[in-house]
Amino acid sequence: MVECGRHLNIEIHTLSEITDVAGSEGNYTVTVKQKPRYVDMDKCIACGSCAEKCPKKVDDAFNMGLGKRKAAYILYGQTVPLKYAIDESRCLFLQKGKCRACEKFCPTGAINFEDRETIKTIKAGALILSPGYTPFDPGQYDYTGYKRIPDVVTAMEYERMLSASGPSMGHLVRPSDNQEPMSVAWLQCVGSRSINRHDRSYCSSVCCMYAVKQCLVTADHLPPQASQTVFYMDIRSHGKDFDRYYEDAVEKGVRFIRERPHTIDPSPEGCGVSITWMDKDGGKRTEHFDLVVLSVGMEPSPDAEQLSKVARIGLNEWGFAKTDPFAPSQSTRPGICIGGSFSGPMAIPRAVTQASTAACKVAMELASAKGTLAREKTYPEERDVEDGEVRIGVFVCSCGINIAGVVDVNAVADYAKTLSGVVFVENNLFTCSTDTQVIIGDKVKELNLNRVVVAACTPRTHEPLFQETLKGSGLNGYLLEMANIRNQNSWVHKHSPEMATQKAKDQVRMAVAKVAKAVPLHSRSVPVTQKALVIGGGLSGMSAALGFAHMGYDTVLIEKSAQLGGNACFLDKTANGLTVRPALEQMIVDVENHERIAVMRQATLTEAKGSVGNFTGTIQTGKKTTTQVDFGVAVVATGGLETKPSEYMYGNDPAVFTHLEFDAFAAQKTNAVRKAECVAFIQCVGSRTKERPYCSRVCCGHTVKKAIELKEMDPDKQVYVLYRDIRTYGFNETWYHKARQLGVVFMQYDPAHKPEVSREGAKIVVLAKDHILQQRVAIYADYLVLAAAIEATGTSDLSKLFKFGVNEDGFVNEAHPKLRPVDMTVEGLFVAGLCHYPKPLDESIAQARAAVSRASVLLAKTEMKLNPITSYVTESCDGCALCVDVCPYNAISLVEFQGKAGLLKRIETDTALCKGCGVCSATCPKGGVQVHGFTMDQLMAQVNAVIKAS
Amino acid sequence: MADIFGIHRNTVRNWIKKGVLPAKPTVGKKYLIDVTDFVRFFVDQGISESLVSEFVNNASTSVSKGAAKLISPSNRYGKGKNKILTTPNQKEMPMAVKQIGSVLIAGGGISGIQAALDLADSGYYVYLIEKNSGIGGAMAKLDKTFPTNDCAM
Repeated sequence: MVECGRHLNIEIHTLSEITDVAGSEGNYTVTVKQKPRYVDMDKCIACGSCAEKCPKKVDDAFNMGLGKRKAAYILYGQTVPLKYAIDESRCLFLQKGKCRACEKFCPTGAINFEDRETIKTIKAGALILSPGYTPFDPGQYDYTGYKRIPDVVTAMEYERMLSASGPSMGHLVRPSDNQEPMSVAWLQCVGSRSINRHDRSYCSSVCCMYAVKQCLVTADHLPPQASQTVFYMDIRSHGKDFDRYYEDAVEKGVRFIRERPHTIDPSPEGCGVSITWMDKDGGKRTEHFDLVVLSVGMEPSPDAEQLSKVARIGLNEWGFAKTDPFAPSQSTRPGICIGGSFSGPMAIPRAVTQASTAACKVAMELASAKGTLAREKTYPEERDVEDGEVRIGVFVCSCGINIAGVVDVNAVADYAKTLSGVVFVENNLFTCSTDTQVIIGDKVKELNLNRVVVAACTPRTHEPLFQETLKGSGLNGYLLEMANIRNQNSWVHKHSPEMATQKAKDQVRMAVAKVAKAVPLHSRSVPVTQKALVIGGGLSGMSAALGFAHMGYDTVLIEKSAQLGGNACFLDKTANGLTVRPALEQMIVDVENHERIAVMRQATLTEAKGSVGNFTGTIQTGKKTTTQVDFGVAVVATGGLETKPSEYMYGNDPAVFTHLEFDAFAAQKTNAVRKAECVAFIQCVGSRTKERPYCSRVCCGHTVKKAIELKEMDPDKQVYVLYRDIRTYGFNETWYHKARQLGVVFMQYDPAHKPEVSREGAKIVVLAKDHILQQRVAIYADYLVLAAAIEATGTSDLSKLFKFGVNEDGFVNEAHPKLRPVDMTVEGLFVAGLCHYPKPLDESIAQARAAVSRASVLLAKTEMKLNPITSYVTESCDGCALCVDVCPYNAISLVEFQGKAGLLKRIETDTALCKGCGVCSATCPKGGVQVHGFTMDQLMAQVNAVIKAS
Repeated sequence: MADIFGIHRNTVRNWIKKGVLPAKPTVGKKYLIDVTDFVRFFVDQGISESLVSEFVNNASTSVSKGAAKLISPSNRYGKGKNKILTTPNQKEMPMAVKQIGSVLIAGGGISGIQAALDLADSGYYVYLIEKNSGIGGAMAKLDKTFPTNDCAM
């Protein structure tokens, strides 16, 4: 987020909305209306005085109305841009013409009540629309008890109640009496999977998992005897590692009840809620809960409709944006893409993936205009400071009253003047403000300063800013040191100002001692091979290869088998009924004919060397032929396979099939299938078991689709589905609904009592307990179809070559499950398709495109700058190799070399892999390996500076 | 092609079906039309030569030899079929207007931010439009995220 705010090529327009989109693909003119902020963004330094002095309290929408904020506000502590705004509709002056307190107290004169609405036109080659979603509002329906009963809250409100930055500061209390709740219940599917009182027939996909997460987080907040109960219809933990998380919750004692309560009343005790439901045996049960959380579903954003009209794009029947499964993220208007949950309810990883998918689509379309408007910053030439006298400038920040209110900044400044090497000291109201940057730059030039200390806040947020300033004035950015006299001092020592001042002096002295030893550091640049390797020629691999090729990058696509297409060759139709074959064939033709794509069939990667930007691989085709390929990035799309079941008579009876086998059989023997009187499906065959504790995600949708097909073929045909949880997430839920309408019988079974299968003459007999009749029933089926589990293929061999992470189930690990869902643990590698996790066709294509987008960020550069804060080997290294084992990034290796005393050993560090964490330096007993910017010399100088005082 | 001449793409298909416009069908429902046939046809149809030649010039930049070209009745990209095959290092649409190297993103939630960063890092200028006074969207409101229980920030 912060990165976004600081990016040279991103211009953030807040309080803005689109009012018109004119032009066409490649050349749009967008009209944007910006509401007045009443705060000058250049002057505001986010000190918070305006909000402190503002007399008007309003409900805080960010905290879902649970807390209060002022009319002068920031959304939350870490907002980007971190600039206050005045809420026009609530401000006393703007509404009633009186007050102006904020204006009086603003130390920088940033408040501007003259601010007016502005209209801008923006030229853009393409648009990405990502207005997000809105949580379902249960207030309009009385049966949930929401608004009627104080202790019924929505999940979003509950999320804020749990948060440390929330209204109760992370201390969980129920709204009615501010007591800790001892029993919390969650009601699933509020505003999802229901067409009874409202038109939300889809599954919101995310609520099951957020409820489970909230259960586990709640357990951390409350004493162990507190209970958590979830009322649900089906648990839909269909994402990667979600099932483990759910099983973990079951093990930790969260009670899951598969019922939908019919009555939610205020508890007779006055506080809390009383819930009544029918249990499995048909009996009425009533229980008291201290707090009830409604797992509300996702609805299209309220702006979605307006936005779709303005941008002239189509919406689907639920009000989400219409997209194409073969070009996910593409809206109905060329050049306009859809990002995130605008195309349907989805969890964060998919939303992030979808965003990159949209970015990829845009980059593919605008390839010819790449780089025409992007800017690059240039700096003056760096001054040589190596041998000169040390001349340090110290800038002490008051941070409004944040620091100066506690620490005597003038005393600190005076003290700094006495330190050796310091030639200039200044106190600033806000050292980070734009005008101070000019002052720092001028002083550096005027007084020939060659080191700078900023005593202010944390380097985490502000170091890049000051480094920029230094670079702009001809100094190396690493000749800077920050002393954090705010977060680590004034904020925590509010009540002892004298000691705080003393500590600030110590901090400044340490920083001065360290910076005196600082040397300029330079980023090493490595050239980037602007070529991509795609491993796997299935739908994901081909989508990725086409993506790279359209962006103008040469791509090598290797496929293990003799044929492109992968699993998609066996698929008939997509979830929304489009035929797969023509699109697939078109894609194969496109891949084969593209000049920038080199397809290698029957090829395997046998060796891989190098690191991000510079890989070299050996590809074996045939028995002996090998080819060397250089590539900068690689997409791993090795796919997955439907497993062969080992139960339910599979392999022993010709009428027992897996999904894909039955699809092929039905296509060939249409008549036999048409004549069949009864077909049974068993779900979760090999999935969600001990060996494979994950959900294969696609089988429920596949079964439901097939069941509908069979019913439509012949309405008298009996179709049974034996399932554990039906996981038709998202819009697939409507297919589940349709299947039930057509008369498909769904029977839930318990993994402890699996169905029993035997043969009796011409029929297969499936014995199972029906959950409604509570009796064992026998199904006489002509065919039995097993929803077999999906496994990743080829990941274990590849993971050895590249040393990337694979999870316990053999699926490729992502760098971060939420925020970097297609980046792999090894930089420069990206993942797409089934080898990451089972997923349907559209999600595979989306992921492949997202991988291309992420990879193209690397390929866009001709050379890559490496972080200069890395480890380096000194003469003292004797090759003891202690550091090799501790290095978390595999950046250190042991090498042998010919020294004077014969063959010697020494370590070597790979600066491309090193992240500068310093573990090696801390481990080394001899100072044989050190980290730039944090050398022993510098650290000792700092330590000595502390000791000197005491 | 249909867009440029302001006609429906089915009209183009009909011309081809009737044999008025000589064309050879290719894999993937595209049509191969000879340039001379193409120009003659349009001049016969009374369409201004300058418009035709502009189209041909634009198109021929994307055709390797200029002797024959692949043209589809529709220039809608993304349908999977009926799109114009061009030489690989060119864009999909031969008659594209001059493209602008900037992208406008509406919505500053996690998706908008991710898309903005991807594009800004790969050579495009991005305008990020947000309705609220700060970016972050819904994710910023979340306390922790599973499965790692990481802070959402």
